[in-house]
Amino acid sequence: MSWRVGVDIGGTFTDVALVNEADGQIGIAKVPTTPRDFGEGVVQALDIALRENEVAADDVTLLSHATTVVTNAILEGQGARTVLVSTRGFRDVLEIRRSARADLYDLFQDPPGVLVPRHCRLEVTERIDAAGDVVTPLDESEIDGIVAFIRENDIEAVSVSLLYAFLNDAHEQALGARLRAALPDIPIFLSSEVLPEIREFERTSTTAVCGYVGPILESYLRRLQDAVSGMGLPDLYVMGSSGGVFNVEEGLKMPAMAIESGPAAGVIAAALIGRQLDKPNLISFDMGGTTAKASLIKDGMIETTSEYEVGGEGNVNRWIHGTGHPIRVPVIDLVEVSAGGGSIAWVDPGGSMRVGPRSAGAEPGPVCYGKGGTEPTVTDCNLMLGYLDPQAKLAGRLSIQTGSAEEAVAAKLADPLGLEVEAAAAGVIDVVNNAMAEALRIVSVERGHDARAFSLVAFGGAGPMHAAALATVLGIREVIVPPIPGGFSALGLVATDLKRDYVKTHYTALDAADPATVGAVYAEMEAAARAMLRAAKVPESQWALERGADLRYSRQAYELTVAAQAGAVTDATLRDLADQFHDKHRLTYGHANPDEAIQLVNLRLTAIGKLEGLDLRQSSDGAVDERKSSRPVWFKRSGRTDCAIYNRDGIGVGDSIAGPAVIEAVDTTIVVPPGWTARPNDKGHIIMEAQHGE
Amino acid sequence: MANDMGMAAAPRMKTDPATFEVVKNSLYAAAEEMKVVLAKTAYSPILKVAGDYSCGIFDREGEMVAQGPDLPIHLGSMPDAVKAVITAWESFRPGDVFIHNDPYFGGSHLPDVNVISPAFHGDILLGFACVRAHWPDVGSAQPGSYGAVTEIFGEGLRLPPVRLYAEGVLNRDVDAIIFSNVRTPEERRGDLNAQVAANRRGSQRLSELAEKYGTDALLRIMGEVMDYSETMMRALLREMPDGEGSFEDFLDGDGILEAGSDTDETFTIRMKALKKGDTLCVDFAGSDPQVAGPMNAPLSVTASGVFTSVKMIVDPTSMIPPNSGCWRAVTVEAPEGSCVNAAFPAPVVYANHEMSHRIADMLFGALAGFMPDRVMACSQGTSAVLTLGGVDYRNGDRYVSYETIKGGFGARPNKDGINTIASGISNTMNTPIEVLEMSFPVRVEYYEITEDSGGAGKYRGGNGARRAWRVLGNDAQASICLERTKSAPFGLAGGKAGAIAQIAIETPDGTIRELNSKGGFPAPGGSRILLEVPGSGGFGPAEDRDPMQLAADVKDGYVSTEGAKRDYGVDI
Repeated sequence: MSWRVGVDIGGTFTDVALVNEADGQIGIAKVPTTPRDFGEGVVQALDIALRENEVAADDVTLLSHATTVVTNAILEGQGARTVLVSTRGFRDVLEIRRSARADLYDLFQDPPGVLVPRHCRLEVTERIDAAGDVVTPLDESEIDGIVAFIRENDIEAVSVSLLYAFLNDAHEQALGARLRAALPDIPIFLSSEVLPEIREFERTSTTAVCGYVGPILESYLRRLQDAVSGMGLPDLYVMGSSGGVFNVEEGLKMPAMAIESGPAAGVIAAALIGRQLDKPNLISFDMGGTTAKASLIKDGMIETTSEYEVGGEGNVNRWIHGTGHPIRVPVIDLVEVSAGGGSIAWVDPGGSMRVGPRSAGAEPGPVCYGKGGTEPTVTDCNLMLGYLDPQAKLAGRLSIQTGSAEEAVAAKLADPLGLEVEAAAAGVIDVVNNAMAEALRIVSVERGHDARAFSLVAFGGAGPMHAAALATVLGIREVIVPPIPGGFSALGLVATDLKRDYVKTHYTALDAADPATVGAVYAEMEAAARAMLRAAKVPESQWALERGADLRYSRQAYELTVAAQAGAVTDATLRDLADQFHDKHRLTYGHANPDEAIQLVNLRLTAIGKLEGLDLRQSSDGAVDERKSSRPVWFKRSGRTDCAIYNRDGIGVGDSIAGPAVIEAVDTTIVVPPGWTARPNDKGHIIMEAQHGE
Repeated sequence: MANDMGMAAAPRMKTDPATFEVVKNSLYAAAEEMKVVLAKTAYSPILKVAGDYSCGIFDREGEMVAQGPDLPIHLGSMPDAVKAVITAWESFRPGDVFIHNDPYFGGSHLPDVNVISPAFHGDILLGFACVRAHWPDVGSAQPGSYGAVTEIFGEGLRLPPVRLYAEGVLNRDVDAIIFSNVRTPEERRGDLNAQVAANRRGSQRLSELAEKYGTDALLRIMGEVMDYSETMMRALLREMPDGEGSFEDFLDGDGILEAGSDTDETFTIRMKALKKGDTLCVDFAGSDPQVAGPMNAPLSVTASGVFTSVKMIVDPTSMIPPNSGCWRAVTVEAPEGSCVNAAFPAPVVYANHEMSHRIADMLFGALAGFMPDRVMACSQGTSAVLTLGGVDYRNGDRYVSYETIKGGFGARPNKDGINTIASGISNTMNTPIEVLEMSFPVRVEYYEITEDSGGAGKYRGGNGARRAWRVLGNDAQASICLERTKSAPFGLAGGKAGAIAQIAIETPDGTIRELNSKGGFPAPGGSRILLEVPGSGGFGPAEDRDPMQLAADVKDGYVSTEGAKRDYGVDI
């Protein structure tokens, strides 16, 4: 019996998911997160999970982990003491940024803190030009001074980012070699190794993030590795922002890869569900207490973006950047909106109903929890409309207080707006659903995909309650609620592959590109990738090396990434890139200019060590009374109507539940509106379908 | 969309609150989506990486219903640009696209090219989509179209509202005229295609909303969105103290030297602001007459400066969606034929940002007396535009480069200003040096924060930046448009002024020559252009500065030890 184990640290709980590789059987465990030392909660959760599922440490083949250490270090300003070395005259590149402010009108805004204070931003005399030629040689006599500064100031990590190092890394390599020799105990990150890509601020920012979080990530991962080794578990793998896992050594070479690993895991799990149910086109929708996240899976592929800012304010704005630190690594393209069960509804001075971005959080929580909340939340409105069980016990003790929720909605919303209480609550749900639909629309319609051709995978504690209503807004006809929607992200950790992304700027007009040179760049990246896969002990039969290229019309600034054929690079390979680019440009922006010259900017390689596919299943006890009860529930189409309430554990394959209905499970509530039908399948999913004509 | 809530609607609106909120957000999402399409497909660096453009959704009368998260500079003048098309053409067909850039027909300055497309659902006109984008060149004698001339006729190609596409078919006559009159026409064509594509996206979204909610409901909600912004603006204005204040400031000049003089003559703007109840009136009576060079602001440009600061003061958290409704509560009055309400054919190109920057800063000064907690000290007050044009020695191609360099953001009543970041009416990004040098034959030799340039105060003004460009290969023709080389960015509440701007050229023989703040100049191959952009004003007396913060500033080189002694009286 061999098992894979995933550990996901969330804000409130640390989840462990186990999957049996042979039969796909799932086990879970949940313990409170231990913020002072995350490892403590991890070890505790692992211990419980292994014991309860009677799994021996020896039987674990993969231990995979999503960490928030990197993001937290940046959010809390608790990174390492770092030195940044720049080309003379350019030490302020990290502070000047792109010189635009994040908010147009906020008089009191602050720019993101600079990760390296100005007195630790050092310069070295050297200059390489736009052709990659040396204009001013590296002044090696200045390096001793830099070393002395690092020693005297107790510096923990060094980042080096020189102009045009992506074209010619000779100066960075020479400087790096001297620093590594003189300072063997201090990690040195070179921009040409971390991210050999054009645009000095973004490259410097990515490199500086590595220096800032590297030492913290290292000490965390080493301690955790020791702890799990002590339990007899195998080597630790970490999930990266692009949804693949890598081992500790690989992660420490580029710590920026370990950002946003938790949210990525949910999308990976959704993709797994897609493979299992043979549904390659999915939108994943994750709704928790404070935010909702959406991501798109097309033809089984997860979309990634390389425009990401860590430590920024998560918001729906596609455009205004500048609230965080850009890192140019592939990050799963998630759109996040401030909309969750705890989001507070309010009336603005113009008489408009608003929901969020403020959230009642876990404390005080929604009014109906009776823990001191006074402002109406989405959860309160869900309760009043009948979606939530008014008899449910909170944490087994407190009872839900429907009366106070109603009073709050009346006082804060209905009265100021001149609405009935029920209409006000329904309005809140409508507004929040449309805000979330906007997130779904950004990842689908706006990227040129027709949302109606996709199925929605809904998870997170609140996702399944809102999913059908959201789907209706977008014309989506199928909603999938997976097993254990509350711990779904941890499942994603074991459902993925080993993965590492490589990039190298190769700046040339595509029609002037030399196939042999392009081939050599791919070959160089592939050699690094093979070494990585070999070191991770992945059998060669499981390797996949996927080439890509970033292209744009020569005078544009933003590239689109297309796949490149494997094998020897020929003129035909390059022509194929051009054809794909024109097509993708037309799909994304509505027009293409086939006569226009194309610029090749970056060559990419994704190295994948494939793990065997899983076939998840969760068996139902089937021992519970099917129809638990009924209660009046409000729906847009029917108003308040008597509605059947089911227990999830009491329904099984062959059941067909016509809406209106509510299905209650331990970790979620599934709402089936009128016009929708819900059917459980043999893997533990519930599939909801909109009837024709809806 | 059926909704049970329509029965008891909010008092001011016919539409139920939830539908209203949803459609409002969809309209703003459409404007934002237009912006994404433009940025990702445009060709010139000023659009694709710097972001000098605005997108909006307009109603059938040309009122702005939704503006994207765009440049404040375009707040006031976009509706006039759309109305000019409505007046000139009266009837519209699906697939029509109009273009114009005339400041005397609702434009701002000639480089800002407006592309306007009617949006239809079936045969019914829903409104318009409009993209205003800054083209780095629209002809004239000076690459970049930023020459110091004395009539608008010298400022470049002037397009009245003309139809570029009729029912989807390109008007080749108009097209040919445009592209024979601009430098680097291939690049401009890419920009124009991007503008048309963005409008197409905006129109498409409007049509989808009409499909979903019904044409009548959509048109009604578009009106309600503007009413809502007005209601919000008035509500927030009412919460603020009433009072009256005035402010006066002088400008460096207009780029035209009197015969026999080697310095540019200054001129003055005078402003009076009256806040009463839910209204604000800003009156420019007493401002100097219009000037010979291109520092004359059309009234809509003056208004944009006012609106920018009003929004920062009244609505810093952006609760009010920006549209035409916001400004019904704000009156802007300026004598006709003055520098703040220019009359045809006065040249205007510099005024678009230089005058609106100044007006935005001055409004903080005028209101500081009675709402000291809501205002900031003066920011850099200039867009600091450097254009370079010529023939690239590397490939023989003609090029035009247009850059704006950012200085300090003013100190606030409770915190320091910000170093080297866009302020006020502007929010364009810099062009990455690695992209700039690959595109144009220049080398940037330094780009750094200028120490001591932020005004001293309890809260320090943001520092400015200094930067040098070396011109490589062939000689180039350059132009500069800069302010605050003579009048320093003022401090408030006892804070000191920030450092002034400086511009000079160092010829290959090493001679450094200071330049006037505006106008064209030859930049020989091998010469260096040296620019220091202004810092910003401090807030509160320097002696109240926290000594720990001052020491930290000195350690980090934001303030020099000499500066600490001179400006704060502290030995470190």
